[in-house]
Amino acid sequence: MLNSRASLVIVALSLALLPFVLDVVGLPLRSAIDVVAFAIACMGLNILVGNTGLVSFGHGAWFGLGAYAAALSQRYWFAGSVILPSLFAIAFVAVAAVLSGALILRRRGVYFSLLTLALTALLFAIGYRWTEFTGGESGLGGVTRATVLGVDLERDSNYYWVIAALAMAVCFLLWRFHRSPVGSVLVAIRENEQRARFIGYPTNRYKLIGFLLSAVVVAVAGTVSVFNHRFASAEPLSVAFSGELIAMVVIGGMRSFLGPALGALFFILFREFLSIWTPHWLFYFGLLFIGFVVFSPTGLVGVAERLLAPLRRREIKAAAMAGRRTAEDLSLPQNLLRAHAHNSLVLSARNLEKSFGGIHAVRGFDLSVRDRTLHALIGPNGAGKTTAFNVLSGLYAPDAGSVELEGKSIAGLKPEDITRAGVGRSFQITNLFGGLSVEENVRLAVQARSRMRYAMWHSTASLSDIHTDTVELIGYLGLAGIESAEASSLSYGGQRLLDMGLALATQPRILLLDEPLAGLAVAERERIAKLIKTISAEIPILLVEHDIDRVFRIADHVTVMNDGAVLVDGTVEDARNNDKVRAVYIGSGTAAIVAEQRKSVVEPDRLLTVDSVNTFYGKSHILNSVSFDVRKHEIVALLGRNGAGKSTLLKSLVGIARPEAGSIKLLDQETVGLPSAEIARRGIGYVPQGRGLFAGMTVADNLVLGRLKRTGGDGIRWNDGRIIEVFPRLAERWNTPADYLSGGEQQMVAVARALAGNVRVLLLDEPFEGLSPAVTQELFEVFDRLREEIAIVIVDHHLDLALALSDRTVVLERGSVTWTGTSALLKDDLELRRKVLWL
Amino acid sequence: MQYVFILEQVLNGLLVGAYYLLIALGLSLIFALGGIVNLAHGGFYAIGAYLAVMLTDRVGFFGALVASPVLVGCLGIVIERFLFRRFYRSDPILSLLLTFGLAMVIEQGLRIVFGAAPLPFSIPAELRGQLLVGDFIYPRYRLFIFGVALAAVTATWFIVYRTTFGRVVRAGVQNPDIVGALGISLAPYMTAIAALGVGLAGLAGVLLAPIAGVHPAMGAEILTAAFVVVVIGGLGSFWGVIAAATLVGVVRGITIYFNPSWGEASMYLLMALVLLVRPRGLFGERIEKFE
Repeated sequence: MLNSRASLVIVALSLALLPFVLDVVGLPLRSAIDVVAFAIACMGLNILVGNTGLVSFGHGAWFGLGAYAAALSQRYWFAGSVILPSLFAIAFVAVAAVLSGALILRRRGVYFSLLTLALTALLFAIGYRWTEFTGGESGLGGVTRATVLGVDLERDSNYYWVIAALAMAVCFLLWRFHRSPVGSVLVAIRENEQRARFIGYPTNRYKLIGFLLSAVVVAVAGTVSVFNHRFASAEPLSVAFSGELIAMVVIGGMRSFLGPALGALFFILFREFLSIWTPHWLFYFGLLFIGFVVFSPTGLVGVAERLLAPLRRREIKAAAMAGRRTAEDLSLPQNLLRAHAHNSLVLSARNLEKSFGGIHAVRGFDLSVRDRTLHALIGPNGAGKTTAFNVLSGLYAPDAGSVELEGKSIAGLKPEDITRAGVGRSFQITNLFGGLSVEENVRLAVQARSRMRYAMWHSTASLSDIHTDTVELIGYLGLAGIESAEASSLSYGGQRLLDMGLALATQPRILLLDEPLAGLAVAERERIAKLIKTISAEIPILLVEHDIDRVFRIADHVTVMNDGAVLVDGTVEDARNNDKVRAVYIGSGTAAIVAEQRKSVVEPDRLLTVDSVNTFYGKSHILNSVSFDVRKHEIVALLGRNGAGKSTLLKSLVGIARPEAGSIKLLDQETVGLPSAEIARRGIGYVPQGRGLFAGMTVADNLVLGRLKRTGGDGIRWNDGRIIEVFPRLAERWNTPADYLSGGEQQMVAVARALAGNVRVLLLDEPFEGLSPAVTQELFEVFDRLREEIAIVIVDHHLDLALALSDRTVVLERGSVTWTGTSALLKDDLELRRKVLWL
Repeated sequence: MQYVFILEQVLNGLLVGAYYLLIALGLSLIFALGGIVNLAHGGFYAIGAYLAVMLTDRVGFFGALVASPVLVGCLGIVIERFLFRRFYRSDPILSLLLTFGLAMVIEQGLRIVFGAAPLPFSIPAELRGQLLVGDFIYPRYRLFIFGVALAAVTATWFIVYRTTFGRVVRAGVQNPDIVGALGISLAPYMTAIAALGVGLAGLAGVLLAPIAGVHPAMGAEILTAAFVVVVIGGLGSFWGVIAAATLVGVVRGITIYFNPSWGEASMYLLMALVLLVRPRGLFGERIEKFE
């Protein structure tokens, strides 16, 4: 909010008026100095809490250490001086902060907070007990103020004005810091630390800078305080004091520049006034703190903003893509090109292996990307493309094998190092700095490679070369006109575009794009594909995509994956005409099962009616007015690409993902809005992707949990006898922990567990994943026989199996239903299948 | 001779570890299931101690030993229902701030009601005196604490690992979505675990009241130690907490023998050491939400 010069004016005015205001309410000058000291401390703390998102419960440590360092150094070394002890205190705390920060910053989130808690507790214990040195319980007195530059600081009024000037300077420095590149990176870390690393920022280093600066500022406050009271004690080292600092920051408002200072003032006033009436003011303060956390986590400033909102001129920053100005000239801005040696081979992977748990996702994977080519990586769902892609781009380290960029190994490097080496990647699930504007997003990426990226004094806006490059890139991407729109409010297509832009901004030697066309409208797809083709003329691109037709039109080279390994590697013609490729997309190894025609026993009564369901994940609109129904004894297949929303739809049906709008009726009873436990009890059974068995518990335990609360209702219910009858293999595994079973056995347990309770409709999410042909057949037969008892909705990427099993198919694309009809149609008509499913 | 003293300190450390364990265990349970880092846990410990002082006059020490944790557990039910529950799916930082405020309120509240001065509370007559165990002399009361703590931990283990209730809880720790999809509503289980967790803290409060002294800040004093144990053991791990409590108790015992004033500092240094080598604690699980 107040990040403009106005805040500095407010600070100056407040400092000037403070002593007079406090005098009017009967508080001495020493209290005014306290306010200033606490305000400085809180603003220092907020560098970490509000800006970087790291909550430190131990910052009182720096306050206390600064105070002690000043007091002790004055006593033993710099008697009669004020400046030297202060400087010493700052230096001492700086060193301590760097040392402890290096250790504590290895952890984030809750662990970080607990470590800071322990740090201050440790220091308190030392301070309290080391009586000869610190005075222990009684503290350290005898601190004197001196005369500095002719001004006698022993007089409180002189001291106040000197401190006010100091506070003004600190505020000014912090103001500049927050607007500087380093300040902007801290905010980026708060918004999305992973993405910050993937555009090239060594985030740990930046966090350490923030930690150090924050500690030093708080230490300054500590020195101000020790000379104010002429007394140092272990009290600021206590956890309680750190808690008070946090409370001041939260109550004031951690997302604003001056909020923390406001919180400090509030605290002092609250303390002074309430203690007139009751000695237990801290109790009421605690209640107030809880109130703020529960009702207004953005503090007083947040409350003020909400109150003022109707009064303020509403600037609606529409993120409508209509506001955009698309560039006609599609030539790549030159500043995005990295100077490089002329190598024909840019990226090469040899024998990559990667496993997750028991799943061997990538094996013996070889890949070579040549300069200035558009290289596509394709394959059916579950082929391992995304895993291979993630290994190449540094998200995972390979278990074995090598990845080299222009001859230098990059396997297992940290994300920021891989990015700086020249690998720029975009993400399939949008990974932006959601709360920041489009311009800020792009600028962060451009800034990461600038030599000014560690600057703490200059404002980011004033760095003209970064600014020029940012503007140029935004224009090139076609996002001009909506630069100030918040990234998370962009349309899906806009976000994908911005994501690609961030990767491009890192000046990559090679660009890795993960499904850049996914979810885009046709016209958009055209434009982006053209853009990608143009970029590839200068920067090599490795592309993972599902839109095979388009890929075949623009790619220079194609690698087809299946089952974790490379199937075909060559030109577009090689891939298009290859029988093996055709086979994997159509389906193989299950010919026998699918050849047999299955009998349909569908009854006309509707069991499950889904009407205009809209489901969101955060701000992402995943399901878009989805409607379909399931009749009694019907098996419906739900097909579509990765990210189309199939799993989310199943989760919406069982209540794990709650729809924002629309209706889902089971036997004419509305289920939207009910907790998932209730929906399950009414008869929706769910077998999740990955089976979801409870580790450390036996098969029997899992089944017991399955039937524990679903004992009522008139759907089917399998008792143990029936389960063993259908899955005889489980009899010997009855008391084995579920995580020791084979994949096939686990799938059987998952199905049995779902059927152990009241079921009328069974939802299956990728039930055939990772199963051997024999087990696949077994399960297929089980599902086929189940149609006589219940209805089934199945999601599976083994198209032939899903189409052979089901009566009807619903196709999802970008969260909307694009086709429904009899499965037989899709099964037999390959032309139709290509049209409907992009294959 | 020195060897005997060291061994005595080690065993003393084990006894100390036992009551850290009670508090740390409750903390770990609440964290594992709800994801709430309960900084107010020390407050429930203090409430347990104060209740013990009040109840002993009426129902005797052993009566208070049972009644106080139960009452604290009931308080836990209320707090879970109205406060914790709002924060299960939000940013963990908010629950940290919330429970921190709660700790402040509890401590100050106790100060208001009972005053800042420590309340006198002595070891009940039956449990005073020493006991000769082989070559070692132990205060009877310490052994009593150890026994009760052991019984409580065993009972908790039994509940979590051998009952259906415990199975639901463990399933809920792993995958709350799937538990819901099996028709089991987790809310009552979370309330029960919160009650159990704070009840354990309350029990520790009763046991320690005669030794640690009953004063409003007692919660804050024990809290950091409890967190150190939980962090060393690994957030969310049952056996980790047990191993860590033992380790902390023993290290503390040995350090106190050589230099009493470093006893407290030793456990922080131990934590730093463990985290350098194993950042998630000895047996910690990787829980995405908290990193």
